[in-house]
Amino acid sequence: MSVLAEVSGNIATVGYGLAAIGPAIGVGIVVGKTIEGVARQPELQGKLQVLMWIGIAFTEALAFIGIATYFIFTK
Amino acid sequence: MTDPISHDPATTPEVASEERRVPSSQPILLRAVTVGGIAAVVVTVVMSVIGWCVDGGTGLASGALGSVSAFVFLGVTAASILVSNFFVQSDFYVVIFFGLVLGSWILKFVLFIVAALLLKDQPWINPTMFFISVIVGVLASLLVDVFVVAKSRVPYVGDLSKDRAV
Repeated sequence: MSVLAEVSGNIATVGYGLAAIGPAIGVGIVVGKTIEGVARQPELQGKLQVLMWIGIAFTEALAFIGIATYFIFTK
Repeated sequence: MTDPISHDPATTPEVASEERRVPSSQPILLRAVTVGGIAAVVVTVVMSVIGWCVDGGTGLASGALGSVSAFVFLGVTAASILVSNFFVQSDFYVVIFFGLVLGSWILKFVLFIVAALLLKDQPWINPTMFFISVIVGVLASLLVDVFVVAKSRVPYVGDLSKDRAV
């Protein structure tokens, strides 16, 4: 049986790349929507900041855990 | 006849300096950083003890480093918003805000990747213990954030004076 394609190295790096797509889109949406909200109603800036912060915290946590998988997925 | 301009608080220098205003999110972010710091100490001690029981000194170092790095890197977001809000009076506030918040965001990820590359092969690091500590630190940090936001009371409209607590 002939080998048509071969991957060398650790495939987990591809996994991290895939895992980073979600948080990247998430943080982009959170910040972008906050900008839209403040532009429409500047007096809500403080309230929207808190919501933006908690949104960023949850999305970046996924990316953070994704990087930390380097410690268990590599030999 | 009174001059409306001279009695306008916004144009009177001493009143304007007394009423230095910050966004109403400031007390909540300050509380998040404070409570997060306390939680970081508690989680670090707990994970260090667990690491010591699992793998001795190596486990202790891994548990402490993992939980500390999780709290520091997740706490940077709240801290960067907190710092940038001090420039709310500046004409460049939007530039400063996103420069600090998103700049610190990208910087901390670069630093964490570099730290991961440097720490991975160290003989005094237990990778599994480090990973578990990071997970526990991240979850504890998110719990603290949720707790602080759930307990917060943000005024619907307007900003607070600097010394007012929520």
